Amino acid sequence: MRRLFLLCFLTVASPAWAGGIAFIVNSRGPSISVVDMATLKEVSRIPTLREPHHLILTPDGHSLMVGDTAGNQMMFLDPNTGEVQKRMPVADPYQFQFSPDGKLLTVNGLLRNQVDVYDAASMKLLKRFPVVATPSHLTYSPDSSTVFVSLQDSDKLVAFDLRTMTEKWTVPIGKTPAGVLWLNGKVLVADMGTDFIAVVDPANGKVLEHVVTGQGAHNLFLSPDRKILWVNNRAGGTTVSVDAATLKVIRSYAIPGGPDDMDFAPGGKIWITRRFAEKVAILDPVTGAFESINVGRSPHGLFLNPKAPSPSVVSSR
Amino acid sequence: MGDPFDLSAGWLEEHLLIPMLYRFGLMNWEDVSYSWILFALYGVAQVAVTFAVCLPLEHWRPVERWPDNKAVWVDVAYTVLSRVGVLPLFTYVLFYRAQVFVSGWMTDQGWVPPTLEGLFPVLLGQQMVTFVLYAIILDFADYWRHWLAHQFRWWWALHSLHHAQRQMTFWSDDRNHLLDDVIAFVWFGVIALLIGVPPLQFPLLVLTLRFLESLSHANVRLSFGWLGDRLLISPRFHRAHHGIRGAGDRSCNYGAVLPWWDMLFRTADFGRDYVRTGDPSGEEALATGSYWQQQQAGLCRFARTFGRPHARHGS
Repeated sequence: MRRLFLLCFLTVASPAWAGGIAFIVNSRGPSISVVDMATLKEVSRIPTLREPHHLILTPDGHSLMVGDTAGNQMMFLDPNTGEVQKRMPVADPYQFQFSPDGKLLTVNGLLRNQVDVYDAASMKLLKRFPVVATPSHLTYSPDSSTVFVSLQDSDKLVAFDLRTMTEKWTVPIGKTPAGVLWLNGKVLVADMGTDFIAVVDPANGKVLEHVVTGQGAHNLFLSPDRKILWVNNRAGGTTVSVDAATLKVIRSYAIPGGPDDMDFAPGGKIWITRRFAEKVAILDPVTGAFESINVGRSPHGLFLNPKAPSPSVVSSR
Repeated sequence: MGDPFDLSAGWLEEHLLIPMLYRFGLMNWEDVSYSWILFALYGVAQVAVTFAVCLPLEHWRPVERWPDNKAVWVDVAYTVLSRVGVLPLFTYVLFYRAQVFVSGWMTDQGWVPPTLEGLFPVLLGQQMVTFVLYAIILDFADYWRHWLAHQFRWWWALHSLHHAQRQMTFWSDDRNHLLDDVIAFVWFGVIALLIGVPPLQFPLLVLTLRFLESLSHANVRLSFGWLGDRLLISPRFHRAHHGIRGAGDRSCNYGAVLPWWDMLFRTADFGRDYVRTGDPSGEEALATGSYWQQQQAGLCRFARTFGRPHARHGS
């Protein structure tokens, strides 16, 4: 009887300490859904000012930065609780990433056609690069010397030298370049206007080959073990796994509703935002099945913090 | 339960627009099309609701009956074009881009762009409350735009197209000269930028206000009573503005949704009762011409104002 009681207690109590938090940015909400990873339920929404899109963890792991583009604001959240730590004015922060050495922060201003490079520690603007059109996604070289930015409304990819703060090259890549990722000494560019990712030589921007993944190749992610490249195809409504070493397509999964950003949960499941469906898909790549969680309008960026305790209702301010 | 408009827009985006954009090599329009389809859906719903509410009212107690409704059909075309096609696209694309540019520039200068939520943090996350507050502010701004449109001869020349309709119905709200629409858009847009209207709310605000404006144009004997007429503009109140006595710079009741501004600035007239509408000083083409004939006549009238000395205008 005592064992039965203990079993019941653990079953009921386990989500409180075993869960983790998922943060999903609802661009049109505008809000951030806080999801309990144990119960797969949205427990609260954090309101944002205008139109947030993406989020990243600071190098010290103490803050989750959420960029509110039309709000011209960077929000800092506690990644363990979702509590708002501070807000900082930043012009049009659409997509942004810290350099691998943690010293620089590059912010793409999608609609202001600018790429801003900040000193990560002081958040002082070091350089603004005006670009021809809509800087969308970015990636760095591993030595932090170069940042590569796709210019989505043009056909171009641009590379900036971060040591000299100058433009290295701008080259045409397909039709509508979107996701960018450094992989094994090459830069991969997903082309939303076609069905391929372009493999680019980072030295000169020369396109070395095309890897066909599906219509509207949009975004690229590397699995935590760095063995699988994941590609979301916007027009085709598919998520495709690609061998990171050989760039051969392994398997295609139908994920309707505009698959966009993704993150990897412990145990191998993959969370994918479905932009047009107000949902997040949780894909089991072994079986190919997925379940969905209801979130807010136009879910875009997402971040999983499996080490965080399961969320209670967090502060909304 | 998700937002039915958002989900419907998402479905259409995924199954209709993206395949089309992809096929024609226009995927760079993907974001814009997603927003346009949402606001076009709002427009369709708004036209449907307006139709469902106003048509029975007009049949129930019409102010006037006409043997021939031909002139009304042009107003129908104005409405569909304005609310489903052009308006959502332009209000979103232009306003959104301008908003991001201006507020981003202000942020660069070290100024925090103004927003109601910034002034009153308690409003953060209270979307319905801020929506109503922004609607009230925009209605106030529209009162002054409308009053000015009656004061300047060149502006009245454009605006008189709106007043030329003798068969005024709920479809008449959108019969405007294109230049008058552009001025109104810039006016609304600048005010919205100054007060920090969220870009995704702007088209919805315009469409909401326009529904109430459509009702106020309806051909129906409808008053909201002594108190009601002083809270919300009724067809009776707005008809006085469209009366033939009210054309030009001697008009009254300039408000679009709320009569408060007319009462505050002493331009309200609650005494005129279901008057005949139209602008006797305008050309016939402005009243009964086709869409393009009306636009052309308005443009000619506008051009003529620059060659004449100042005089009172209208009837």
